[in-house]
Amino acid sequence: MKVLVVDDEPLARERLAALLAEIDGIEFVGEAANGREMLEATSRDRPDVILLDIRMPVMDGLEAARHLDTLENSPGVIFCTAYEDHALAAFEANAVDYLVKPVRRERLGAALAKARRWSGTQARVLEQAVEPGRRRTHLCARVRGSLVLVPVGDIDYLLAEDKYVVVHHAKGEVLIEEPLKSLEDEFEGRFVRIHRNCLVALEKLAGLTRTPDGRLFANVEGVGATLEVSRRNLPALRKLVRTL
Amino acid sequence: MTRKAVPNWLPQFCSAPTLFAVMLVAELVALVIVLAPEAQPQPWLRRLGVASVYVQWLALLCAVVLCSLRQVFERLPARSGFILAWVLSVSITAIASALICRVDQALGLGLSVPPAASLRFVLDNAAICALISAALLRYLFVLEQWRERVNAISKAQVDALQARIRPHFLFNSMNTIASLIRTRPAEAERTVEDLSDLFRAALGADDGHGSLGEELDLIDHYLRIERLRLGERLRIETRLDDLPRDFALPRLLLQPLIENAVYHGIQPRADGGTIELGGRRLGAGVEIRVRNPLPTDAPVRRNGIALANIRARIEYHFGVTAALEIEPGPDHYTAIVRLPGVMLK
Repeated sequence: MKVLVVDDEPLARERLAALLAEIDGIEFVGEAANGREMLEATSRDRPDVILLDIRMPVMDGLEAARHLDTLENSPGVIFCTAYEDHALAAFEANAVDYLVKPVRRERLGAALAKARRWSGTQARVLEQAVEPGRRRTHLCARVRGSLVLVPVGDIDYLLAEDKYVVVHHAKGEVLIEEPLKSLEDEFEGRFVRIHRNCLVALEKLAGLTRTPDGRLFANVEGVGATLEVSRRNLPALRKLVRTL
Repeated sequence: MTRKAVPNWLPQFCSAPTLFAVMLVAELVALVIVLAPEAQPQPWLRRLGVASVYVQWLALLCAVVLCSLRQVFERLPARSGFILAWVLSVSITAIASALICRVDQALGLGLSVPPAASLRFVLDNAAICALISAALLRYLFVLEQWRERVNAISKAQVDALQARIRPHFLFNSMNTIASLIRTRPAEAERTVEDLSDLFRAALGADDGHGSLGEELDLIDHYLRIERLRLGERLRIETRLDDLPRDFALPRLLLQPLIENAVYHGIQPRADGGTIELGGRRLGAGVEIRVRNPLPTDAPVRRNGIALANIRARIEYHFGVTAALEIEPGPDHYTAIVRLPGVMLK
C-alpha cells in the first residue's frame, strides 16, 4: 500500500514517515507540505492512502480532500489533526478516519487497514460541518489526466458553456464541471453576475461600455474580452459599480 | 451552617475611619435624643452636650470592646457573631448606664435622672442601643456580603481573562517532541523544558506577576518551540536593547501577541515570514511592538477575542493610560503595547 504524507511541519512528516517504516506492507511514496503540493504529488505518485493534516497554508486539508474527487481513482484519506474540538465531532459524524497528533502507531496501523475511498460529496458535507460558509481557495480541473489548480484570486471571469464552466484566469482557461449558480453562491461578493451565463470577478471589473446599437458590455481588467451584460442583470450591476 | 474561612464581616473597629463613623452615628443618636420632647424643658445646648458626651462614651466603649474581641468573632460563624456583638453592645450600654446613674446620683450633679427613675433610665438606654446596634450591625453585615460578591465577580472576570495558550500549541509541541525523541533527543529534552516553563506560567503557579525580563525569556522559549515546528518558515528579528528587565508586569501579557503573530501571520504563509519584535523605554514605561506579515490571500482575521482579552488585561493591571494599538497594513500587521511605569494590581 502506497502512502503519501501531507503536513506543513517537517518534524511531523518525519515522525509519520518513521512510524510508517515500522508497519509491514506500507510503502512511503512521498510527502507534501500543503494541499496544492499534495494534489500534484497525488497525480504523480498515485498513492493508495493519504495522511492529510488539516491546517496548512496555501490550501488546507479539507479543501485538498475535496479536490481529490476530480481525480480518477481517488485515494483514501486519513485526516491528522493536533486539536480541533468541534471538528472531531464532524469527522466522527461522517465516518471519516482521523488521527490526533501525536499519532500512535497502533492507531495509524488500524486506520491504514480500513482507509476508505474518498468522495467529493462526503468532503463537501464535512467541510460545511467543520466550518460552515467556508470557501475554497482554488478551483480544480482535470486536464489530460493531471490536475490544474487555479487560485480563486487569479480568476478573471467564469463563463458557462453547456454543462461546463470555463474558468478564465491569469494563465489561461480551464473547464470545470460545476454549476455556475453554486459557484456564485460559494463565492458571493467576489464575483458579480452580468449575464445568465457569466460571472465576473468584482475586482477585475474595469467598467461598462455601451455600443452604438445600445448593447452593454463589461470590460475586464487585463483581458481583451468584452462580455455582454444582460438587461436583467443591469440594475444590480449598476448599483454595484456605483458603490465601488 | 457552613463556616466561612474568614468571616470578617465586622469592620476593624479600631481603625480611624470606622471610629469616625461610629462617632458620627453616636452624635446623630444624641441629636435625636435631644430633639425628642421632654417633660422638664432645659436649655437644648446643655442637653446636647450632656447627651453627646454620654452617647459618645458608650459608643466608643462598645467599639473598643468589639475591636478587642475581633479574634473571637473571626472564629465564630457569621450568625453567632452577629448575635454576640448585639448582646455585647446592649449589655455594655445597660451596665454603663446603671453605673453612670449611680455615680451621678452619688455626686449629686443631676445630669441624668433622679434615683426613682434609675431602672427606667437603664432600660430605655438598653432599648435604644438594642435598636440602633441591630440596625447598624445588619447594615455592616449586608455591606460585607455585597462587597464579597463584588470581589468574587471581579476575581472571576480576571480569571477568565487569564492568559491561555492555545490547545493547538500544546498538541503540536507534543508531536514535535515525539518526533525529536527518535532523532535528536537533546533537542527533545530542551523542548520539554521550554514547554514546562510556558505552562507553569500559563497555569498560574503563583500570583501571576513577573518581570519584563522573565516575559522576554518565556517568549524566547515559545519561539524556540515554534521554530522547531515551522522550521525555516519562522524567522525572528528582535531589537530589545535597553529594555528594563526588572519592569513589573503580569505573566504572559505579551506572549499572546507573539502567538497571534505566528498563528495568523506566519503559519498561513507557505514561505513563512519574519516576526519583528521591538521594544524601547518610554519614560518610566515601555513600548513593545510586534510586527508580522499577513497571509497573501488574507482570510478573515478571527482573533478579535484574543485581542480584546489582552486589552482588558492590560487595562486591568495598568489602568487606562496603558494601550494596545493595532496598525493594520496592506501586507503587515503591527500590534503596539504601551505600558506606564507602575502596575496597579
